[in-house]
Amino acid sequence: MFDFLQLVNNENMKIYRRPRTWIMLGILLLMSLVIPLMATLYGGGTSVSMWDLLLVQSAIGIMLATVYAVVIAAEMVAGEFSTGTIKLLMIRPWSRSKILLSKYVALLLFALFFVAVTFGWNILTSMLFFGYTDEPMGASGIHPLNYWMQYYLYEFLTLVITVTLAFLISTVFRSSGLAIGLSLFLLLGGGIVTGIIRMLDYAWVDYLLFANMALTDYLNSDVSTITGKPIGFTLAVLGGYYVAFLAITWSVFNKRDIA
Amino acid sequence: MTPSSAPAGAQVPPSDRQPVVRMQGVTKRIGKRTIIDNLTLEVPSGEVFGFLGPNGSGKTTTIRMMVGLMKLSQGEIFIREHSITGAYEQAIRYVGAIVENPEMYKYLTGYQNLLHFARMIPGITKQRIDEVVQLVGLGARIHDKVKTYSLGMRQRLGVAQAIMHKPALLILDEPTNGLDPAGIRELRDYLRQLAREEGITVFVSSHLLSEMELMCDRVAIIQNGRLIDVRQIGQHQGEVALTKVFFEVDQPQAALELLTGLGAVLEDGMLTFEGDREQIAAANITLVQAGLKVYGIRKHTKTLEDQFLEVTGGERIV
Repeated sequence: MFDFLQLVNNENMKIYRRPRTWIMLGILLLMSLVIPLMATLYGGGTSVSMWDLLLVQSAIGIMLATVYAVVIAAEMVAGEFSTGTIKLLMIRPWSRSKILLSKYVALLLFALFFVAVTFGWNILTSMLFFGYTDEPMGASGIHPLNYWMQYYLYEFLTLVITVTLAFLISTVFRSSGLAIGLSLFLLLGGGIVTGIIRMLDYAWVDYLLFANMALTDYLNSDVSTITGKPIGFTLAVLGGYYVAFLAITWSVFNKRDIA
Repeated sequence: MTPSSAPAGAQVPPSDRQPVVRMQGVTKRIGKRTIIDNLTLEVPSGEVFGFLGPNGSGKTTTIRMMVGLMKLSQGEIFIREHSITGAYEQAIRYVGAIVENPEMYKYLTGYQNLLHFARMIPGITKQRIDEVVQLVGLGARIHDKVKTYSLGMRQRLGVAQAIMHKPALLILDEPTNGLDPAGIRELRDYLRQLAREEGITVFVSSHLLSEMELMCDRVAIIQNGRLIDVRQIGQHQGEVALTKVFFEVDQPQAALELLTGLGAVLEDGMLTFEGDREQIAAANITLVQAGLKVYGIRKHTKTLEDQFLEVTGGERIV
Protein backbone atom coordinates (compact mmCIF):
# COMPACT_ATOMS: atom_id res chain seq x y z
CA MET A 1 0.00 0.00 0.00
CA PHE A 2 1.47 3.34 -0.89
CA ASP A 3 1.16 6.38 1.21
CA PHE A 4 -2.22 7.38 2.52
CA LEU A 5 -0.59 10.47 3.98
CA GLN A 6 -0.13 11.76 0.43
CA LEU A 7 -3.89 11.98 0.15
CA VAL A 8 -4.07 13.97 3.37
CA ASN A 9 -1.27 16.10 1.98
CA ASN A 10 -3.43 16.83 -1.05
CA GLU A 11 -6.37 17.85 1.06
CA ASN A 12 -4.12 20.07 3.16
CA MET A 13 -2.85 21.70 0.00
CA LYS A 14 -6.40 22.44 -1.04
CA ILE A 15 -7.09 24.08 2.33
CA TYR A 16 -3.92 26.06 2.92
CA ARG A 17 -3.17 27.16 -0.64
CA ARG A 18 -6.26 29.27 -0.59
CA PRO A 19 -5.92 32.83 0.69
CA ARG A 20 -9.25 32.61 2.47
CA THR A 21 -7.85 30.22 5.05
CA TRP A 22 -5.21 32.74 6.06
CA ILE A 23 -7.71 35.58 6.02
CA MET A 24 -9.88 33.55 8.41
CA LEU A 25 -6.91 33.00 10.67
CA GLY A 26 -6.05 36.70 10.58
CA ILE A 27 -9.59 37.68 11.54
CA LEU A 28 -9.56 35.13 14.34
CA LEU A 29 -6.35 36.54 15.79
CA LEU A 30 -7.56 40.14 15.50
CA MET A 31 -10.96 39.45 17.07
CA SER A 32 -9.36 37.71 20.00
CA LEU A 33 -7.35 40.86 20.66
CA VAL A 34 -10.44 43.02 21.01
CA ILE A 35 -11.35 41.91 24.54
CA PRO A 36 -7.99 42.48 26.29
CA LEU A 37 -7.52 45.67 24.30
CA MET A 38 -10.87 47.08 25.40
CA ALA A 39 -10.25 46.06 28.98
CA THR A 40 -6.95 47.92 28.96
CA LEU A 41 -8.27 51.02 27.24
CA TYR A 42 -11.64 51.36 28.96
CA GLY A 43 -11.16 49.25 32.06
CA GLY A 44 -10.68 52.38 34.16
CA GLY A 45 -7.68 51.02 35.95
CA THR A 46 -9.46 48.09 37.63
CA SER A 47 -6.85 45.41 38.07
CA VAL A 48 -7.62 42.24 36.17
CA SER A 49 -5.69 39.01 36.20
CA MET A 50 -4.79 37.37 32.90
CA TRP A 51 -7.33 34.61 33.53
CA ASP A 52 -10.31 36.83 34.24
CA LEU A 53 -11.17 37.71 30.69
CA LEU A 54 -10.13 34.44 29.13
CA LEU A 55 -13.66 33.03 29.18
CA VAL A 56 -15.04 35.79 26.94
CA GLN A 57 -11.92 35.77 24.77
CA SER A 58 -12.07 31.99 24.37
CA ALA A 59 -15.78 32.03 23.61
CA ILE A 60 -15.17 34.42 20.72
CA GLY A 61 -12.13 32.52 19.48
CA ILE A 62 -13.77 29.11 19.61
CA MET A 63 -16.93 30.39 18.01
CA LEU A 64 -14.90 31.72 15.10
CA ALA A 65 -12.81 28.57 14.86
CA THR A 66 -16.01 26.52 14.76
CA VAL A 67 -17.53 28.68 12.05
CA TYR A 68 -14.36 28.37 9.95
CA ALA A 69 -14.09 24.63 10.47
CA VAL A 70 -17.74 24.31 9.46
CA VAL A 71 -17.05 26.34 6.31
CA ILE A 72 -14.11 24.10 5.43
CA ALA A 73 -16.11 20.95 6.21
CA ALA A 74 -19.03 22.15 4.12
CA GLU A 75 -16.80 22.94 1.17
CA MET A 76 -14.74 19.83 1.39
CA VAL A 77 -17.05 17.40 -0.36
CA ALA A 78 -19.78 19.64 -1.75
CA GLY A 79 -17.15 21.93 -3.27
CA GLU A 80 -15.62 19.09 -5.25
CA PHE A 81 -19.05 18.29 -6.62
CA SER A 82 -19.95 21.86 -7.51
CA THR A 83 -16.68 22.47 -9.36
CA GLY A 84 -16.75 19.02 -10.96
CA THR A 85 -13.28 18.16 -9.71
CA ILE A 86 -14.76 15.16 -7.89
CA LYS A 87 -14.69 13.27 -11.19
CA LEU A 88 -10.94 13.66 -11.55
CA LEU A 89 -10.40 12.99 -7.88
CA MET A 90 -12.26 9.70 -7.76
CA ILE A 91 -10.77 8.00 -10.82
CA ARG A 92 -7.55 7.07 -9.03
CA PRO A 93 -6.42 3.77 -7.57
CA TRP A 94 -7.99 4.54 -4.22
CA SER A 95 -11.27 3.40 -2.78
CA ARG A 96 -13.91 6.02 -2.17
CA SER A 97 -13.73 5.36 1.57
CA LYS A 98 -10.07 6.21 1.73
CA ILE A 99 -10.43 9.38 -0.28
CA LEU A 100 -13.25 10.48 2.01
CA LEU A 101 -11.16 9.54 5.04
CA SER A 102 -8.27 11.67 3.81
CA LYS A 103 -10.65 14.61 3.61
CA TYR A 104 -11.97 13.98 7.08
CA VAL A 105 -8.49 13.67 8.55
CA ALA A 106 -7.43 16.95 6.91
CA LEU A 107 -10.57 18.56 8.30
CA LEU A 108 -9.83 17.41 11.86
CA LEU A 109 -6.24 18.63 11.50
CA PHE A 110 -7.55 21.99 10.41
CA ALA A 111 -9.90 22.17 13.39
CA LEU A 112 -7.11 21.13 15.74
CA PHE A 113 -4.78 23.72 14.23
CA PHE A 114 -7.28 26.55 14.65
CA VAL A 115 -8.28 25.57 18.19
CA ALA A 116 -4.62 25.21 19.18
CA VAL A 117 -3.80 28.60 17.71
CA THR A 118 -6.78 30.14 19.51
CA PHE A 119 -5.61 28.64 22.78
CA GLY A 120 -2.00 29.71 22.40
CA TRP A 121 -2.86 33.18 21.15
CA ASN A 122 -5.39 33.89 23.90
CA ILE A 123 -3.06 32.76 26.69
CA LEU A 124 -0.17 34.69 25.17
CA THR A 125 -2.05 37.96 24.61
CA SER A 126 -3.66 37.84 28.07
CA MET A 127 -0.26 37.37 29.56
CA LEU A 128 1.18 40.27 27.59
CA PHE A 129 -1.69 42.60 28.51
CA PHE A 130 -2.17 41.69 32.17
CA GLY A 131 1.00 39.93 33.26
CA TYR A 132 1.49 36.34 34.31
CA THR A 133 -0.07 34.91 37.47
CA ASP A 134 -0.68 31.32 38.47
CA GLU A 135 -2.96 31.48 41.52
CA PRO A 136 -4.95 28.28 41.88
CA MET A 137 -8.53 28.59 40.78
CA GLY A 138 -11.64 28.66 42.95
CA ALA A 139 -12.53 25.92 45.38
CA SER A 140 -10.92 23.07 43.47
CA GLY A 141 -7.52 24.71 43.64
CA ILE A 142 -6.71 23.65 40.10
CA HIS A 143 -3.89 25.37 38.22
CA PRO A 144 -5.46 27.85 35.79
CA LEU A 145 -3.45 26.64 32.81
CA ASN A 146 -4.65 23.13 33.54
CA TYR A 147 -8.23 24.32 33.80
CA TRP A 148 -8.07 26.09 30.47
CA MET A 149 -6.48 23.15 28.73
CA GLN A 150 -9.41 21.05 29.84
CA TYR A 151 -11.79 23.77 28.74
CA TYR A 152 -10.30 23.80 25.26
CA LEU A 153 -10.29 20.02 25.09
CA TYR A 154 -14.03 19.90 25.84
CA GLU A 155 -14.70 22.66 23.36
CA PHE A 156 -12.67 20.83 20.77
CA LEU A 157 -14.75 17.68 21.26
CA THR A 158 -18.02 19.52 20.68
CA LEU A 159 -16.44 21.27 17.71
CA VAL A 160 -15.58 17.88 16.22
CA ILE A 161 -19.22 16.84 16.53
CA THR A 162 -20.35 20.03 14.82
CA VAL A 163 -17.91 19.76 11.91
CA THR A 164 -18.68 16.05 11.51
CA LEU A 165 -22.31 16.98 11.09
CA ALA A 166 -21.34 19.65 8.55
CA PHE A 167 -19.22 17.06 6.73
CA LEU A 168 -22.20 14.71 6.69
CA ILE A 169 -24.55 17.32 5.24
CA SER A 170 -21.88 18.34 2.73
CA THR A 171 -21.55 14.74 1.58
CA VAL A 172 -25.20 13.75 1.60
CA PHE A 173 -26.72 16.89 0.11
CA ARG A 174 -23.66 18.07 -1.81
CA SER A 175 -24.56 21.60 -0.88
CA SER A 176 -22.09 23.68 1.06
CA GLY A 177 -24.69 26.34 1.78
CA LEU A 178 -27.01 23.87 3.43
CA ALA A 179 -24.14 22.36 5.40
CA ILE A 180 -23.02 25.71 6.74
CA GLY A 181 -26.53 26.87 7.49
CA LEU A 182 -27.71 23.75 9.31
CA SER A 183 -24.53 23.32 11.33
CA LEU A 184 -24.50 26.91 12.48
CA PHE A 185 -28.17 26.69 13.33
CA LEU A 186 -27.33 23.72 15.51
CA LEU A 187 -24.52 25.65 17.09
CA LEU A 188 -26.36 28.90 17.74
CA GLY A 189 -30.01 27.92 17.87
CA GLY A 190 -29.63 24.50 19.44
CA GLY A 191 -29.67 25.84 22.98
CA ILE A 192 -32.85 27.81 22.39
CA VAL A 193 -34.64 24.88 20.79
CA THR A 194 -33.60 22.61 23.63
CA GLY A 195 -34.82 25.13 26.16
CA ILE A 196 -38.24 25.17 24.51
CA ILE A 197 -38.46 21.39 24.23
CA ARG A 198 -37.34 21.00 27.82
CA MET A 199 -40.44 22.79 28.98
CA LEU A 200 -42.37 19.79 27.70
CA ASP A 201 -40.45 17.68 30.18
CA TYR A 202 -40.07 14.48 28.16
CA ALA A 203 -37.32 12.07 29.11
CA TRP A 204 -36.09 11.75 25.52
CA VAL A 205 -35.14 15.41 25.42
CA ASP A 206 -31.98 14.43 27.30
CA TYR A 207 -30.89 12.38 24.32
CA LEU A 208 -31.05 15.23 21.84
CA LEU A 209 -27.78 16.36 20.37
CA PHE A 210 -28.49 19.99 21.34
CA ALA A 211 -28.87 19.11 24.97
CA ASN A 212 -25.45 17.51 25.18
CA MET A 213 -23.23 20.06 23.54
CA ALA A 214 -22.25 21.98 26.70
CA LEU A 215 -19.37 19.83 27.82
CA THR A 216 -17.63 22.70 29.62
CA ASP A 217 -20.41 22.54 32.25
CA TYR A 218 -18.53 19.65 33.76
CA LEU A 219 -15.56 21.82 34.62
CA ASN A 220 -17.55 23.46 37.37
CA SER A 221 -20.08 20.82 38.26
CA ASP A 222 -20.58 17.07 38.29
CA VAL A 223 -23.83 17.26 36.40
CA SER A 224 -24.89 19.10 33.29
CA THR A 225 -26.83 22.31 33.78
CA ILE A 226 -29.12 21.31 30.93
CA THR A 227 -29.85 17.61 31.41
CA GLY A 228 -28.65 17.12 34.97
CA LYS A 229 -26.81 13.99 33.86
CA PRO A 230 -23.19 13.04 34.62
CA ILE A 231 -20.40 13.39 32.07
CA GLY A 232 -20.45 9.68 31.17
CA PHE A 233 -24.01 10.02 29.91
CA THR A 234 -23.20 13.06 27.80
CA LEU A 235 -20.11 11.48 26.28
CA ALA A 236 -22.04 8.31 25.45
CA VAL A 237 -24.78 10.27 23.71
CA LEU A 238 -22.24 12.32 21.77
CA GLY A 239 -20.34 9.14 20.86
CA GLY A 240 -23.55 7.59 19.56
CA TYR A 241 -24.28 10.58 17.37
CA TYR A 242 -20.68 10.69 16.18
CA VAL A 243 -20.66 7.06 15.06
CA ALA A 244 -24.03 7.49 13.38
CA PHE A 245 -22.85 10.61 11.51
CA LEU A 246 -19.76 8.83 10.24
CA ALA A 247 -21.70 5.72 9.24
CA ILE A 248 -24.23 7.73 7.24
CA THR A 249 -21.53 9.86 5.60
CA TRP A 250 -19.44 6.93 4.46
CA SER A 251 -22.25 4.68 3.31
CA VAL A 252 -23.87 7.45 1.27
CA PHE A 253 -20.57 8.49 -0.28
CA ASN A 254 -19.70 4.91 -1.23
CA LYS A 255 -23.06 4.13 -2.76
CA ARG A 256 -23.91 7.21 -4.72
CA ASP A 257 -23.31 7.56 -8.41
CA ILE A 258 -21.21 10.58 -9.21
CA ALA A 259 -23.02 12.45 -11.92
CA MET B 1 2.03 -6.22 -9.56
CA THR B 2 4.40 -4.19 -7.46
CA PRO B 3 2.92 -0.77 -7.04
CA SER B 4 6.13 0.84 -5.82
CA SER B 5 8.30 0.61 -8.91
CA ALA B 6 6.97 2.15 -12.11
CA PRO B 7 3.62 3.67 -13.02
CA ALA B 8 1.04 1.04 -13.63
CA GLY B 9 0.71 1.32 -17.36
CA ALA B 10 4.45 1.25 -17.97
CA GLN B 11 4.76 -2.36 -16.88
CA VAL B 12 2.37 -3.61 -19.44
CA PRO B 13 3.91 -4.84 -22.64
CA PRO B 14 2.04 -3.42 -25.59
CA SER B 15 0.36 -6.71 -26.19
CA ASP B 16 -1.66 -5.84 -29.22
CA ARG B 17 -4.50 -8.12 -30.03
CA GLN B 18 -5.91 -8.36 -26.56
CA PRO B 19 -8.72 -5.87 -26.09
CA VAL B 20 -8.02 -3.12 -23.57
CA VAL B 21 -11.66 -2.74 -22.66
CA ARG B 22 -14.25 -5.45 -22.63
CA MET B 23 -17.85 -4.58 -21.86
CA GLN B 24 -20.27 -7.40 -21.35
CA GLY B 25 -23.98 -6.78 -21.26
CA VAL B 26 -23.50 -3.46 -19.54
CA THR B 27 -26.83 -2.08 -18.41
CA LYS B 28 -27.68 1.00 -16.41
CA ARG B 29 -31.10 1.66 -15.02
CA ILE B 30 -32.04 4.77 -13.15
CA GLY B 31 -35.43 4.29 -11.62
CA LYS B 32 -37.50 2.60 -14.29
CA ARG B 33 -35.62 4.16 -17.15
CA THR B 34 -32.99 2.08 -18.90
CA ILE B 35 -30.19 4.46 -19.81
CA ILE B 36 -27.79 1.88 -21.18
CA ASP B 37 -29.20 -1.32 -22.54
CA ASN B 38 -27.09 -4.45 -22.71
CA LEU B 39 -23.98 -2.91 -24.21
CA THR B 40 -21.34 -5.40 -25.33
CA LEU B 41 -18.22 -3.95 -26.85
CA GLU B 42 -14.51 -4.55 -27.19
CA VAL B 43 -11.92 -1.87 -27.68
CA PRO B 44 -8.81 -3.19 -29.43
CA SER B 45 -5.41 -2.15 -28.22
CA GLY B 46 -3.52 0.74 -29.81
CA GLU B 47 -6.44 2.28 -31.66
CA VAL B 48 -8.23 5.56 -31.48
CA PHE B 49 -11.70 4.30 -30.79
CA GLY B 50 -14.63 6.62 -31.32
CA PHE B 51 -17.83 6.44 -29.33
CA LEU B 52 -20.42 8.21 -31.35
CA GLY B 53 -23.98 9.07 -30.59
CA PRO B 54 -26.45 11.92 -30.44
CA ASN B 55 -26.83 13.93 -27.27
CA GLY B 56 -28.50 11.93 -24.54
CA SER B 57 -27.71 8.59 -26.12
CA GLY B 58 -25.73 7.41 -23.09
CA LYS B 59 -22.13 8.15 -24.03
CA THR B 60 -21.22 9.94 -20.84
CA THR B 61 -23.08 7.42 -18.71
CA THR B 62 -21.10 4.62 -20.31
CA ILE B 63 -17.84 6.44 -19.70
CA ARG B 64 -18.79 7.11 -16.09
CA MET B 65 -19.37 3.41 -15.61
CA MET B 66 -16.04 2.63 -17.27
CA VAL B 67 -14.17 4.76 -14.74
CA GLY B 68 -16.22 3.69 -11.74
CA LEU B 69 -18.04 6.94 -11.11
CA MET B 70 -21.33 5.15 -11.66
CA LYS B 71 -22.32 1.67 -10.65
CA LEU B 72 -23.48 -0.84 -13.22
CA SER B 73 -26.99 -2.17 -12.86
CA GLN B 74 -25.98 -5.27 -14.76
CA GLY B 75 -23.08 -6.64 -16.73
CA GLU B 76 -19.37 -6.19 -16.33
CA ILE B 77 -16.58 -3.98 -17.61
CA PHE B 78 -13.02 -5.26 -17.76
CA ILE B 79 -9.99 -3.09 -18.29
CA ARG B 80 -7.02 -5.25 -19.18
CA GLU B 81 -9.01 -8.12 -17.72
CA HIS B 82 -9.46 -6.42 -14.34
CA SER B 83 -13.09 -5.99 -13.42
CA ILE B 84 -14.04 -2.41 -12.75
CA THR B 85 -16.58 -3.53 -10.19
CA GLY B 86 -14.59 -6.30 -8.54
CA ALA B 87 -11.02 -5.01 -8.70
CA TYR B 88 -11.49 -1.28 -9.12
CA GLU B 89 -8.14 -0.19 -7.73
CA GLN B 90 -6.26 -2.49 -10.14
CA ALA B 91 -8.39 -1.74 -13.17
CA ILE B 92 -8.32 2.04 -12.81
CA ARG B 93 -4.51 2.15 -12.82
CA TYR B 94 -4.56 1.52 -16.55
CA VAL B 95 -6.91 4.39 -17.13
CA GLY B 96 -6.37 8.08 -17.63
CA ALA B 97 -9.50 10.07 -18.22
CA ILE B 98 -11.19 13.38 -18.64
CA VAL B 99 -14.89 13.07 -17.94
CA GLU B 100 -16.75 15.95 -19.55
CA ASN B 101 -14.86 19.18 -19.03
CA PRO B 102 -11.34 19.18 -17.63
CA GLU B 103 -12.28 20.69 -14.28
CA MET B 104 -9.24 21.53 -12.21
CA TYR B 105 -8.73 23.27 -8.91
CA LYS B 106 -8.81 26.86 -10.13
CA TYR B 107 -7.16 28.33 -7.05
CA LEU B 108 -4.11 26.11 -7.52
CA THR B 109 -1.47 26.47 -10.19
CA GLY B 110 -1.32 24.04 -13.08
CA TYR B 111 1.70 22.43 -11.51
CA GLN B 112 0.02 22.04 -8.13
CA ASN B 113 -2.91 20.40 -9.86
CA LEU B 114 -0.60 17.89 -11.51
CA LEU B 115 1.22 17.32 -8.23
CA HIS B 116 -2.12 16.67 -6.57
CA PHE B 117 -3.03 13.89 -8.98
CA ALA B 118 0.54 12.57 -9.13
CA ARG B 119 0.47 11.98 -5.38
CA MET B 120 -2.49 9.68 -5.80
CA ILE B 121 -0.69 7.25 -8.10
CA PRO B 122 2.51 5.48 -7.14
CA GLY B 123 5.71 5.92 -9.08
CA ILE B 124 5.20 9.32 -10.69
CA THR B 125 8.43 11.26 -10.34
CA LYS B 126 8.98 15.00 -10.53
CA GLN B 127 10.79 14.40 -13.84
CA ARG B 128 7.74 12.67 -15.23
CA ILE B 129 5.56 15.66 -14.30
CA ASP B 130 8.01 18.02 -16.05
CA GLU B 131 8.10 15.71 -19.05
CA VAL B 132 4.33 15.71 -19.34
CA VAL B 133 4.20 19.49 -18.95
CA GLN B 134 6.58 19.81 -21.90
CA LEU B 135 4.65 17.23 -23.86
CA VAL B 136 1.39 19.16 -23.68
CA GLY B 137 3.21 22.45 -24.21
CA LEU B 138 2.31 24.20 -20.97
CA GLY B 139 5.89 24.90 -19.93
CA ALA B 140 5.60 28.68 -19.84
CA ARG B 141 2.35 28.89 -17.87
CA ILE B 142 2.45 25.85 -15.62
CA HIS B 143 3.12 27.89 -12.47
CA ASP B 144 0.20 30.23 -13.08
CA LYS B 145 -3.13 29.71 -11.38
CA VAL B 146 -5.54 27.62 -13.40
CA LYS B 147 -8.20 30.33 -13.21
CA THR B 148 -6.07 32.37 -15.61
CA TYR B 149 -5.99 29.57 -18.21
CA SER B 150 -7.94 29.53 -21.43
CA LEU B 151 -10.18 26.57 -22.18
CA GLY B 152 -7.58 25.15 -24.56
CA MET B 153 -4.94 25.32 -21.85
CA ARG B 154 -7.23 23.64 -19.35
CA GLN B 155 -7.87 20.95 -21.90
CA ARG B 156 -4.13 20.41 -22.23
CA LEU B 157 -3.72 20.34 -18.48
CA GLY B 158 -6.51 17.78 -18.43
CA VAL B 159 -4.65 15.65 -20.93
CA ALA B 160 -1.47 16.02 -18.86
CA GLN B 161 -3.10 14.63 -15.71
CA ALA B 162 -4.64 11.84 -17.72
CA ILE B 163 -1.40 10.59 -19.32
CA MET B 164 0.95 11.28 -16.39
CA HIS B 165 0.94 7.68 -15.19
CA LYS B 166 1.36 6.26 -18.70
CA PRO B 167 -2.04 4.64 -18.87
CA ALA B 168 -2.86 1.89 -21.32
CA LEU B 169 -6.22 3.51 -21.96
CA LEU B 170 -7.02 7.18 -22.31
CA ILE B 171 -10.70 8.04 -22.04
CA LEU B 172 -11.86 11.42 -23.26
CA ASP B 173 -15.45 12.51 -23.05
CA GLU B 174 -16.36 15.05 -25.71
CA PRO B 175 -12.83 16.46 -25.76
CA THR B 176 -13.50 18.93 -28.55
CA ASN B 177 -16.39 20.64 -26.76
CA GLY B 178 -15.82 24.34 -26.65
CA LEU B 179 -12.50 24.27 -28.47
CA ASP B 180 -11.92 26.49 -31.47
CA PRO B 181 -11.00 24.87 -34.82
CA ALA B 182 -7.29 25.31 -34.18
CA GLY B 183 -7.64 23.73 -30.75
CA ILE B 184 -9.61 20.83 -32.18
CA ARG B 185 -6.99 20.23 -34.82
CA GLU B 186 -4.23 20.36 -32.26
CA LEU B 187 -6.00 17.89 -30.01
CA ARG B 188 -6.72 15.57 -32.90
CA ASP B 189 -3.11 15.47 -34.02
CA TYR B 190 -2.03 15.01 -30.46
CA LEU B 191 -4.32 12.04 -29.85
CA ARG B 192 -3.15 10.33 -33.04
CA GLN B 193 0.42 10.91 -31.93
CA LEU B 194 -0.28 9.39 -28.51
CA ALA B 195 -1.80 6.32 -30.05
CA ARG B 196 1.00 5.94 -32.55
CA GLU B 197 4.04 6.75 -30.45
CA GLU B 198 3.09 5.79 -26.92
CA GLY B 199 0.85 2.91 -27.87
CA ILE B 200 -1.96 4.33 -25.80
CA THR B 201 -5.44 3.22 -26.71
CA VAL B 202 -7.67 6.25 -26.92
CA PHE B 203 -11.38 5.99 -26.26
CA VAL B 204 -13.05 9.18 -27.31
CA SER B 205 -16.71 10.10 -27.31
CA SER B 206 -18.31 12.73 -29.46
CA HIS B 207 -21.45 13.74 -31.23
CA LEU B 208 -19.42 15.48 -33.92
CA LEU B 209 -19.32 13.10 -36.84
CA SER B 210 -16.79 14.96 -38.90
CA GLU B 211 -14.43 14.96 -35.95
CA MET B 212 -14.66 11.25 -35.41
CA GLU B 213 -14.02 10.60 -39.05
CA LEU B 214 -10.71 12.44 -38.90
CA MET B 215 -9.63 11.15 -35.53
CA CYS B 216 -10.62 7.52 -35.17
CA ASP B 217 -9.66 4.12 -36.49
CA ARG B 218 -12.94 2.61 -35.47
CA VAL B 219 -16.24 4.00 -34.38
CA ALA B 220 -19.00 2.52 -32.28
CA ILE B 221 -22.37 4.11 -32.79
CA ILE B 222 -24.79 4.26 -29.91
CA GLN B 223 -28.34 5.45 -29.80
CA ASN B 224 -30.86 5.39 -26.98
CA GLY B 225 -28.39 3.41 -24.91
CA ARG B 226 -28.09 0.65 -27.47
CA LEU B 227 -25.08 -0.20 -29.56
CA ILE B 228 -26.12 0.13 -33.16
CA ASP B 229 -22.97 -0.55 -35.08
CA VAL B 230 -19.21 -0.70 -34.91
CA ARG B 231 -17.39 0.21 -38.08
CA GLN B 232 -13.90 0.81 -39.24
CA ILE B 233 -13.22 4.24 -40.64
CA GLY B 234 -11.90 4.39 -44.19
CA GLN B 235 -13.11 0.86 -44.90
CA HIS B 236 -15.79 1.92 -47.32
CA GLN B 237 -13.30 3.81 -49.47
CA GLY B 238 -11.21 0.72 -50.07
CA GLU B 239 -13.94 -1.57 -51.18
CA VAL B 240 -15.53 0.78 -53.68
CA ALA B 241 -17.32 -1.38 -56.14
CA LEU B 242 -19.81 1.05 -57.42
CA THR B 243 -19.56 4.75 -56.79
CA LYS B 244 -22.29 7.19 -57.35
CA VAL B 245 -20.92 9.82 -59.67
CA PHE B 246 -22.18 13.19 -60.85
CA PHE B 247 -21.41 14.72 -64.25
CA GLU B 248 -21.88 18.42 -64.83
CA VAL B 249 -22.46 18.93 -68.56
CA ASP B 250 -23.77 21.67 -70.81
CA GLN B 251 -26.60 19.61 -72.35
CA PRO B 252 -27.95 17.24 -69.69
CA GLN B 253 -30.76 15.88 -71.87
CA ALA B 254 -28.41 14.91 -74.69
CA ALA B 255 -26.02 13.36 -72.24
CA LEU B 256 -28.81 11.38 -70.64
CA GLU B 257 -29.65 9.80 -73.96
CA LEU B 258 -26.02 8.88 -74.54
CA LEU B 259 -25.63 7.19 -71.17
CA THR B 260 -28.98 5.43 -70.73
CA GLY B 261 -27.10 2.15 -70.97
CA LEU B 262 -25.43 2.89 -67.64
CA GLY B 263 -28.74 3.61 -65.97
CA ALA B 264 -28.06 7.31 -65.76
CA VAL B 265 -30.69 9.72 -64.45
CA LEU B 266 -30.91 13.45 -63.95
CA GLU B 267 -30.67 14.85 -60.45
CA ASP B 268 -30.86 18.64 -59.97
CA GLY B 269 -29.63 19.17 -63.51
CA MET B 270 -26.71 16.83 -62.96
CA LEU B 271 -26.26 13.56 -64.71
CA THR B 272 -25.77 10.78 -62.24
CA PHE B 273 -25.26 7.03 -62.27
CA GLU B 274 -23.50 4.33 -60.30
CA GLY B 275 -20.44 2.79 -61.86
CA ASP B 276 -16.89 1.60 -61.29
CA ARG B 277 -13.73 3.49 -62.24
CA GLU B 278 -13.57 2.25 -65.84
CA GLN B 279 -17.21 3.00 -66.50
CA ILE B 280 -16.74 6.54 -65.29
CA ALA B 281 -13.78 7.06 -67.63
CA ALA B 282 -15.67 5.49 -70.53
CA ALA B 283 -18.70 7.65 -69.88
CA ASN B 284 -16.52 10.72 -69.97
CA ILE B 285 -15.04 9.71 -73.33
CA THR B 286 -18.50 9.09 -74.74
CA LEU B 287 -19.69 12.52 -73.69
CA VAL B 288 -16.60 14.34 -74.95
CA GLN B 289 -16.59 12.52 -78.27
CA ALA B 290 -20.23 13.45 -78.74
CA GLY B 291 -19.17 17.06 -78.50
CA LEU B 292 -20.66 17.74 -75.06
CA LYS B 293 -18.85 19.96 -72.59
CA VAL B 294 -18.01 18.26 -69.30
CA TYR B 295 -17.51 20.89 -66.60
CA GLY B 296 -16.99 18.55 -63.71
CA ILE B 297 -17.08 14.98 -62.52
CA ARG B 298 -17.74 14.47 -58.83
CA LYS B 299 -17.66 11.23 -56.90
CA HIS B 300 -20.10 10.93 -54.11
CA THR B 301 -18.39 9.15 -51.23
CA LYS B 302 -20.46 8.32 -48.24
CA THR B 303 -19.24 10.19 -45.22
CA LEU B 304 -19.58 8.95 -41.72
CA GLU B 305 -22.38 11.43 -41.42
CA ASP B 306 -24.37 9.69 -44.10
CA GLN B 307 -23.67 6.34 -42.53
CA PHE B 308 -24.62 7.68 -39.16
CA LEU B 309 -27.87 9.08 -40.39
CA GLU B 310 -28.47 5.82 -42.20
CA VAL B 311 -28.04 3.63 -39.14
CA THR B 312 -29.76 5.96 -36.73
CA GLY B 313 -32.59 6.52 -39.13
CA GLY B 314 -31.91 10.22 -39.44
CA GLU B 315 -32.67 10.80 -35.83
CA ARG B 316 -30.22 13.30 -34.45
CA ILE B 317 -31.48 14.40 -31.11
CA VAL B 318 -33.32 11.93 -29.02
